[in-house]
Amino acid sequence: MKIILSRLVAVREVPVFLALLLVLIVTGIANPQFVSASGAQDIFLGVAVIATLCVGQTFVITMRHIDLSVGSTAGFTAYMIGKVSGDHHGLGISLLVALAIGLLVGAVNGFLVAYLRLPSLVVTLASLWIVRGIFNQVAGGNTITDNQVPSALGYLGRHSFAYIPYIFIIAFALVLFASFIMHSSRPARDLYAMGSNPPASELAGIPVIKRTFFAFLASGAVSGLGGAILLARFHSADSNSGLGLELNVIAACVVGGVAVAGGVGTPYGALIGALLLQSITQALGALGVSQFWQLAVNGVLLISAISLDRYLTLRIKPTRILRVKS
Amino acid sequence: MVTEAVPVLTISGATKNFGGVRALNGASLSLFKGEIHALLGENGAGKSTLLKTLAGVHRLDSGEIILDGKVFHEGSTKLAREQGIAVIYQEPNLFPDLTLAENVFAGRQLQLNHGKFVDWAGMQSAAQELFNQLGVPLNPRSKARGLSIADQQIVEIAKALSLNAKVIVMDEPTAALSSKEVERLFTVARGLAARDAAVVFVSHRLDEVFELTTRITVMRDGATVGTGITLDLTEKDVIHMMVGREISDLYPKIVTTPGRVVLSVKELAHDGLFENISFDVHAGEIVALAGLVGSGRSEIARAIFGIDKYTHGTITMNENRLAIGSPSESMAAGIALVPEDRRQQGLFMAASIAKNVSVTVLKRLQRGFWLQSKSEERTATSWGETLELKYADITDPVERLSGGNQQKIVLAKWLATKPSLLIIDEPTRGIDVGTKAQVHRLLSDEASKGLAILMISSELPEVLGMADRILVMREGVMVQELSRSEATSEKVIAAATGAVTV
Repeated sequence: MKIILSRLVAVREVPVFLALLLVLIVTGIANPQFVSASGAQDIFLGVAVIATLCVGQTFVITMRHIDLSVGSTAGFTAYMIGKVSGDHHGLGISLLVALAIGLLVGAVNGFLVAYLRLPSLVVTLASLWIVRGIFNQVAGGNTITDNQVPSALGYLGRHSFAYIPYIFIIAFALVLFASFIMHSSRPARDLYAMGSNPPASELAGIPVIKRTFFAFLASGAVSGLGGAILLARFHSADSNSGLGLELNVIAACVVGGVAVAGGVGTPYGALIGALLLQSITQALGALGVSQFWQLAVNGVLLISAISLDRYLTLRIKPTRILRVKS
Repeated sequence: MVTEAVPVLTISGATKNFGGVRALNGASLSLFKGEIHALLGENGAGKSTLLKTLAGVHRLDSGEIILDGKVFHEGSTKLAREQGIAVIYQEPNLFPDLTLAENVFAGRQLQLNHGKFVDWAGMQSAAQELFNQLGVPLNPRSKARGLSIADQQIVEIAKALSLNAKVIVMDEPTAALSSKEVERLFTVARGLAARDAAVVFVSHRLDEVFELTTRITVMRDGATVGTGITLDLTEKDVIHMMVGREISDLYPKIVTTPGRVVLSVKELAHDGLFENISFDVHAGEIVALAGLVGSGRSEIARAIFGIDKYTHGTITMNENRLAIGSPSESMAAGIALVPEDRRQQGLFMAASIAKNVSVTVLKRLQRGFWLQSKSEERTATSWGETLELKYADITDPVERLSGGNQQKIVLAKWLATKPSLLIIDEPTRGIDVGTKAQVHRLLSDEASKGLAILMISSELPEVLGMADRILVMREGVMVQELSRSEATSEKVIAAATGAVTV
């Protein structure tokens, strides 16, 4: 029993999942309204965009990098989808534009980090600003309104299957798919190796540069898709869309067990992390706690997550010098 | 033991220079299938360079390596592995977050469905099979984090097995192992040889060499001194081949008369690291802590300086007992520590020379609230002259200087505090001969002015040339004390390695 328990706790996603259950149960007892279908719907809606972006971020963080540009990219693509579609082009072309923007940002990030070996924190901070700057220039003071949103996206954003919003189902499917890839494809396993021990991964003959580039490219592409979900969710977009989203995404990843030190974590863990953060935000609302406390609680949660991580990983035996007397 | 006439690996005429330092100077080595071959030599003899060449890290300047009848392609770790050479390092470089099975197959995972998916079950059973063959109870599903060094080496050996390596190099594998783990490693090594691999065994422990190996090659000053069958050699022969030189005027030691006791260590012990360590260091005296890497010397130095705690014993500085684990108190008591890893622990690489030298004496340079960079620069410049420092401008960042000059700056930084005891760990590792002599002269000068020096060094000539007294450590125990007049290389090596007859 003890062994099973310690194995379970060793699975990184389990403590987060338990915390999520705890939040739902405690809040549900205090305010039954919270565990209703509409309460769940609120959480799912709120999490769809972040969960999508977490997929790309997990690829990047796993190899001990970070992608700060995802919020700007998602916001920009949300706007561009509306703009292109509003100009009477089809959904297909709108989505292609979104994907192209995402891939372009990802390719630039990937090139600078992988081939020029620049630090990803700085590179993606720069691209966060550059994309946001271009976005502001393109959008000006304009707003994409409901009638410019492609009708298919609008439909997905408004409707649900058994109280589960379609956009959450899409995000969930993406997370499952990415989790499978992360577990079972060789390039993805290399990402774990690269994050776990960078010099050793070079020695093991892993094509580090190529893998790094493609991970950033994937993060860019996912950000483009995230833009589509963002537009579907809010039915509008302006130059502030997606502002600061990257921080929520990174927080969800970290809380969900995707350590910024690299080498560990899964997309579904990040999804659980996102659900936990969103549930807490909404639980605090349901419990009548002031909105202002919600950010502080998220902060405490982040610190708890990394503290737990350190406790679990830092128990290494000291090297012995004295011979064991036999 | 099968020994065939044609060697599986031949290295001949290998030379390699690093800057002005000649690391290899016509080294040669030949290995046969099924043998366990010891490669011996002092630190700096060129063993590591030779091994790193085989591992694909370095490329020779000239010379030839023939592996299995073909020219060995140098300069790529991946290619080296594919050609059949595996290197097991003293501290293996595993992926702590991955399972042991993934570690064994890192970068070349087994795959299902024509290479679409990772074959987890296949990798796990293959790794399990390898561990079984090696006779070790490791779980391929568990993560590598927290694994003992002995087990990490086994994982590396399993990797070598899975690659069908023809040559398996073990670089000081036993340095951090317990005696039981050493036994297990020996069994594994014999098993590898029985499967016709050539095993190269590097160790400073001569008893192990004579127990395990079938042949011995000794290197000195980048060249091969000789090769022989282990059974035909004695420990004395081998030590002679390893040392074989006179101590030159690299060591301008000034004869001093030791003064009062500065540092007194009594029955110091730390569980698992060292035990029953007692010694004094007098003013004006240079005391060397000799011994193999990993024998506990640095740990003692860290305990004295207060970086690490200790479980038993006392440390007294100028008749005042020091608190356990307080570097600031140790500094206040007049101890200065120059660490071995100066890039990480001793210097602010991006800061200027002036800032680095004056950082330990800021209090003295302070005028009211403000620091004056002029006075920082003055202090640094005067030390620069004493130390014959080579630099363009005193405000240049330290990272632009050579290793030798960086070491001088670390020294200056600590000497500027006017300590009464200087602990210096590997004072001249990795610096060129000329600078070495300057560092030695400086240490000798400071000692003659009354500074007590505790020097940790793995370089025998340095120990013999500089120290008034030599304390030899082996496996966490102080095994011998030698005065300057009675110390010889043979005696120190014998004590440090546990050789019985010399």
